[in-house]
Amino acid sequence: DAVLFEGDHQARFEKILTRYPNKQAALLPTLALAQEVRGHVSPQTMDRVAELLELAPAYVRGVTTFYTMYNKAPVGRHLVQVCTNISCNLCGADEVLEAFLRYTDTELGETSEDGDFTVIEAECLAACGFPTCVQINSRYYENVTPAEVPKIIEHLKSAGAGGR
Amino acid sequence: MAYPYVSDREVRVLSKYFGDPSARRVEEYVKRGGYQALKKAFGMGPDAVIDEVKASGLRGRGGAGFPAGVKWSFMPKEPTKPHYLLCNADESEPGTFKDRELMRWDPHQLIEGCLIAAYAIRAKQIYIYCRGEFFETTQVLAKALEDAYAKGYVGKDILGSGNDIDITIHLGGGAYICGEETGLMNSLEGRRGQPRVKPPFPAAVGAFGMPSTVNNVETLSAVPHIITNGGAWYRQWGTEKSPGTKLFCVSGHVNRPGNYELPLGFPLMELIDDICGGMRDGKALKAVIPGGSSVPLLNAEECAGCNLDYEGVQAAGSQLGCASVIVMDENTDIVKQVRRMVAFYAHESCGQCTPCREGTAWMTKILQRIEEGRGTEEDLQTLLDMSRQMTGTTICVLSDSAAAPVVSSIQKFKDEYLALIRRGERVGVA
Ligand SMILES: Cc1cc2nc3c(=O)[nH]c(=O)nc-3n(C[C@H](O)[C@H](O)[C@H](O)COP(=O)(O)O)c2cc1C
Ligand code: SF4
Ligand code: FES
Repeated sequence: DAVLFEGDHQARFEKILTRYPNKQAALLPTLALAQEVRGHVSPQTMDRVAELLELAPAYVRGVTTFYTMYNKAPVGRHLVQVCTNISCNLCGADEVLEAFLRYTDTELGETSEDGDFTVIEAECLAACGFPTCVQINSRYYENVTPAEVPKIIEHLKSAGAGGR
Repeated sequence: MAYPYVSDREVRVLSKYFGDPSARRVEEYVKRGGYQALKKAFGMGPDAVIDEVKASGLRGRGGAGFPAGVKWSFMPKEPTKPHYLLCNADESEPGTFKDRELMRWDPHQLIEGCLIAAYAIRAKQIYIYCRGEFFETTQVLAKALEDAYAKGYVGKDILGSGNDIDITIHLGGGAYICGEETGLMNSLEGRRGQPRVKPPFPAAVGAFGMPSTVNNVETLSAVPHIITNGGAWYRQWGTEKSPGTKLFCVSGHVNRPGNYELPLGFPLMELIDDICGGMRDGKALKAVIPGGSSVPLLNAEECAGCNLDYEGVQAAGSQLGCASVIVMDENTDIVKQVRRMVAFYAHESCGQCTPCREGTAWMTKILQRIEEGRGTEEDLQTLLDMSRQMTGTTICVLSDSAAAPVVSSIQKFKDEYLALIRRGERVGVA
């Protein structure tokens, strides 16, 4: 298996270690960094992280699977997370979710054939006054209406992957 | 983006610079008196800082409303081990969207507040625990922190005072329960974010087993103003028991949703009708959740006399929580919205306590069944029985929070449940 962190990523990993009193506390930031490098956190990646932080592999698996943001399997280049929690829901989030599924031609949680899109439901993203809030990779889109969805998708297709 | 809406009835102490991207720069912050409160605090000494914050009556803005100065006074006065200040920036309570705004529009205000609090509780290390979804926000915060380090406001020998305080931004992994203070500490330590049994309380055994204090972003953002102007100044707003200003996050069916900073005790209906421009499309009000999804619903009648301070909302039959005011109009499908909230709690339950793990999952199923027109009247009694078993029986209050909207909606909107059960159709829904 290839080395997990190299160059700039290795430097960032080493910096993370300096911020905590022990290596275990660096686990979440290290998982986030690993996901940035690999796109998702596979069981192999978890084992690598365990080695780097001198933790038991089973422990790392137990922690990783507790959190939703570490993708345990590959996802589309654009991970579309539509908040359907209460404030967005009151303002039509279900229709926005439907529009994303329709225009990406996917089922909830499944990746499109071209590997571009995975659409999932999200819990409240702390932008409830700007409904519907949609997180696409690292970026927040606010006040999204169903009518705007095709435009957003076209834009993403032409812009490539964008920062995670 | 210009800040969406403002009102001239607001008292913008913490939110004055929302919508102004230049205000987040360190030069601008310093120009308007920034980091002077920190300097003043260093001159006062830690105990005088705690006394000033006690005098202000500032209460925790993360939901529980515990007085900040009192919490700080629980920390050991003569440290024998490292102390930690943990800033809770996990903001995930449905309906709440103030901490992200505070961090991205005025990051130095938060950094300065953190430093003063750390000094008061004799901590040399601060962790700002941000929910993992806040990539963009933490970039703003990280830039501000870098600048503050470069200018000597954070780090070694701050402002030549001999005080060393470091700040680390820590990103979570996506789990609501990490906003609960002991779940936060476990998550920070690289564990699953499961809440701990209390006692011991964080001031005795907190992060890494050391004395720790957890405060919300908004609580800490108020601190520089209190130190600059004094506790009595802060008390010019609000009520005797709920002093000061508070950010109200208004969402749902109003014309102008958004964050509004108002004196505590502000009348709920004036917030909706005047500040937020009334109900969307001229519809009638059906219900309000005044404090985020964890508190009971109020019906329109209860809203009428409700003042938005901790005591006022309690008197009306709910809780102020984090002042996340979710407004629902006459066409709202209450059963669907309650089901959505309970499904959230089922998803976020950390699973250690049986009443919570099982209760939230079963409630979701029963509510789904009712929503689909396959419920029975006994289901309502079952839901109420479960709510009772889920309240006050678990390690943290997530379980109680899940029960709150169920109980209050069955009490106040029983006809909607019954209509679905009896006719398989919704009342008042177009
Ligand atoms: C399930 C649950 C979730 C919570 N989420 C948050 C949160 O996202 N942010 C927050 O500041 N407090 C949250 N709290 C409250 C914290 O436990 C804690 O009381 C608060 O951070 C203390 O800060 P304060 O005294 O300044 O309000 C949550 C509590 C519970 C039970
Ligand atoms: S009440 Fe629920 S969320 Fe809280 S500790 Fe128990 S199982 Fe976990
Ligand atoms: S409910 Fe959608 S962002 Fe809060």
